[in-house]
Amino acid sequence: MINVNGKLFEVPLNLQEASLLMFLRDFVGLTGTKYGCGAGLCGACTVHLDGEAITSCQYLVSDVMDRRITTIEGLADTVVTGDLHPLQKAWVEFSVPQCGYCQAGQIMAAAALLNNIPKPTSEDIRTGMAGNLCRCGTYKRIQSAILNASEEISDER
Amino acid sequence: MKDNKSPSMSISRRNFLLRTGWIAGGVTVLTSCGSIIPPLPSLNDPTYEDALSWIQMRADGQVIFYAPRMEMGQGVTVGLCQIIAEELNLPQSAIDYISPNTDQTPPFKMTVGSEGIAKYFEPVSRGAASLKEVLRERLQNSTQYKLHTIKEEEGGFSLPDGQMVSYADLIGDTSLVLNSEMLATAESNADKRKRAGPKAIGESWKDPQLKAIVTGQKTYSRDIAISGLRYGHIIHKPTFHATLDTVDIGSAMEMKGIVAVVPSKENDFVGIVAENPYVLDEAVNAVSVKWAYQDDLGARAISDILDVERIRSANSFEHEILSEGDLNTGRSSSVRSIEARYDTSFSAHAAMEPRAATVWVKEERVEVWSAGQDPFFTQKQVAAAIGRNVEDIIVYTHRLGGGFGGRVRCQASEEAAILSVATGHPVRVQWDRTAEFQNNYFQPAFSHYISAGVTEEGKIGFWEHDFVSSPILTGAVPDYIAWIIDSVKADEGTARGCVSPYQIMNQRIRYSDIRTSIPAGAWRGLGAAPNGFAIECMMDELAVEAGADPLEFRLNNLSASETKIRGVLEAVAEMAKWRDSKSDNSKRGISCAVYKGETAVAIVADIEIDHKTKKIVVKRIWCAQDCGLVINPDQVEAQVEGNVVWGCNMALKEKMQFTDGMVNADNFDGFEILRHDEMPDIQVKLIQSDGTPPTAVGEAAFAPVAPAITNAIFAATGRRLRKLPITYEQL
Repeated sequence: MINVNGKLFEVPLNLQEASLLMFLRDFVGLTGTKYGCGAGLCGACTVHLDGEAITSCQYLVSDVMDRRITTIEGLADTVVTGDLHPLQKAWVEFSVPQCGYCQAGQIMAAAALLNNIPKPTSEDIRTGMAGNLCRCGTYKRIQSAILNASEEISDER
Repeated sequence: MKDNKSPSMSISRRNFLLRTGWIAGGVTVLTSCGSIIPPLPSLNDPTYEDALSWIQMRADGQVIFYAPRMEMGQGVTVGLCQIIAEELNLPQSAIDYISPNTDQTPPFKMTVGSEGIAKYFEPVSRGAASLKEVLRERLQNSTQYKLHTIKEEEGGFSLPDGQMVSYADLIGDTSLVLNSEMLATAESNADKRKRAGPKAIGESWKDPQLKAIVTGQKTYSRDIAISGLRYGHIIHKPTFHATLDTVDIGSAMEMKGIVAVVPSKENDFVGIVAENPYVLDEAVNAVSVKWAYQDDLGARAISDILDVERIRSANSFEHEILSEGDLNTGRSSSVRSIEARYDTSFSAHAAMEPRAATVWVKEERVEVWSAGQDPFFTQKQVAAAIGRNVEDIIVYTHRLGGGFGGRVRCQASEEAAILSVATGHPVRVQWDRTAEFQNNYFQPAFSHYISAGVTEEGKIGFWEHDFVSSPILTGAVPDYIAWIIDSVKADEGTARGCVSPYQIMNQRIRYSDIRTSIPAGAWRGLGAAPNGFAIECMMDELAVEAGADPLEFRLNNLSASETKIRGVLEAVAEMAKWRDSKSDNSKRGISCAVYKGETAVAIVADIEIDHKTKKIVVKRIWCAQDCGLVINPDQVEAQVEGNVVWGCNMALKEKMQFTDGMVNADNFDGFEILRHDEMPDIQVKLIQSDGTPPTAVGEAAFAPVAPAITNAIFAATGRRLRKLPITYEQL
């Protein structure tokens, strides 16, 4: 069984050796997590494994049995502040996305970063997010949105 | 959408056929042999009549806007909605934007060239205004009031007696779709309009799709899942020009879940179709394909071909783009002169979403779910690939996960169509990252030679510019017709931006189109960035020769009438405090360019050489841009930010090389692009001169970025590095 966003999924035998990314997209039907490079180089497929960011294209389903996966679709449910996670709110507030394709991965990476460093410096954000590529060039806005969200989260605490 | 009837019915069919796109720059001469020309992209500019079918009003007064531009993050759709809102005095919530399928609008031009606002502002605003005037006339006809006494209000009109009438009150039971007959009178009233209701143009409206994007709910073409779907994988030819020889399908068909193995000799691929996506990898390994290889060139051979000095020594430039005054006169009037060669690299689009499509070929209809910059080109390509009529094909469009010129074709659509024909099922084809790098076209390398001089007064005495590269706009035409096209005229895409904005009495610009074995095609800004790089580096070198400050040298060589470019240079100087005696300009470079003759941009780059990490670091970029009327300032700034990142990539990162018809880098480890920790701070200032129409934005700020960075590297190190990309090791 794999716990995806709080729901348990039985894994058919022929999926054991499939990538976690493919399992999420084609079996569970959660397509918010994106394929970008298939090699762990771009971060588009970032999800949380027990709260830590991983690139789901680099994990097999069998690697994550009986563990807890959170995807972009389940991120807001990890907080109690309404229908959007503070990062998602900040993403809208700063109009971060251009094409938008990499943004689910960016947001998931940022959420894990804030779990580990609740009050990151600009430098923490720059290095912490370096694994997530954006070809449209939205980095400046992403970094501003993360800073802003971190302040909002710590205000709420 | 309930009403799927094609709005094109009201406008003459013939008119549309005329404008369906055969008449391209160099291709005009060839229309007599139409049958040998492959399908062409949609090339015709929008007209006012087109706009009539884009903007409709529902019975409840809600505007339905079938956006004639594909959204790929450039923000064009929200901008066009603002233009409609401005004309119709509506709030954002009263306009629903729809990315139309190919049944819902007549064909529109491929989404390229930063034209989304620049070329669509006028037809969209007139279309919206016409809708309003038709409604005003209806109101006049149902009352005794004179037309001009009916005043505009938010969402409708007011009558002289104070009564408010909403648009919905005037629509009737069915949606209002304009046709040309209704317009005869409406048009003449259009100039009487006066703004009422909330302001829309100039506001930073948000893309209504943001929430769906940040929650993972937005559907991209890779995300399509329909019932009965089968999963395709394409074994592509391993090199650009290999052809399919033989296929041994091995045990593939015995594998559980494999539906078909489909070799396509015509298209040089082998497709595999399965009931589920999990068995595809194994089946691919079981199939062995023999390819016939053509001679393909390595990196060295290609750079030997695209070598400006080779063409110079043969003195055989194909096209003279500009010739003014006399170079010898200019030389003798110059007190100092220099010559230099500048080179830029091949590059890839590397959009984050590798292309994908789902196609279901049925007897009566062929349904295509894909994302491309030209859905009507996809429609034609699919029709040609499976031998169906274009009208049989419907293409459902999606937001693109990045385009940058690389998605004018969506080859996965044709591939999925072929596999759907072979199996009778709807089939999905998703390219992986390797396929995305290997199987598309590229930005060609450019090789420039510029010789120039300065007079005693610090003016440019002469300017001799020769360059070579490959045709871009006509890059995809087959070899058997390419030679005619190339001899007719210089490729306007490759030549874009090769004429500088400076006042130069004696100058000559020559160019040769040279096709190599590397597929070449559109990439952000086409020739603008490589050409701007050469020009603006030489300007910096000339400033040194003249003993002048690089900013003042540029200003001194612009004619008084070049107010836009002067304006942005002055503005960026102000932002960066360039002239402030306390400012340290020792690690800064400046540059400017005019994109497509309309949008002026100036950049100052501030860099640092980090000897510890062995890196060239771009610390800050200041950008001033004059793109005329700004519809949505935040979206324009976002485009500038994107262009700055592209400029940093071009200066310091991107380089695609090839060996024997294969890309040397097929993922982001070999083809590196800027990452979060390399991002400069960016300050943007938008200047809009009163009364100027909106001009190009999406690619405009790209060209001056790389030269500003290389000029800063010179300021910091005294080294002129003239071949991009520049690495620390070269310093």
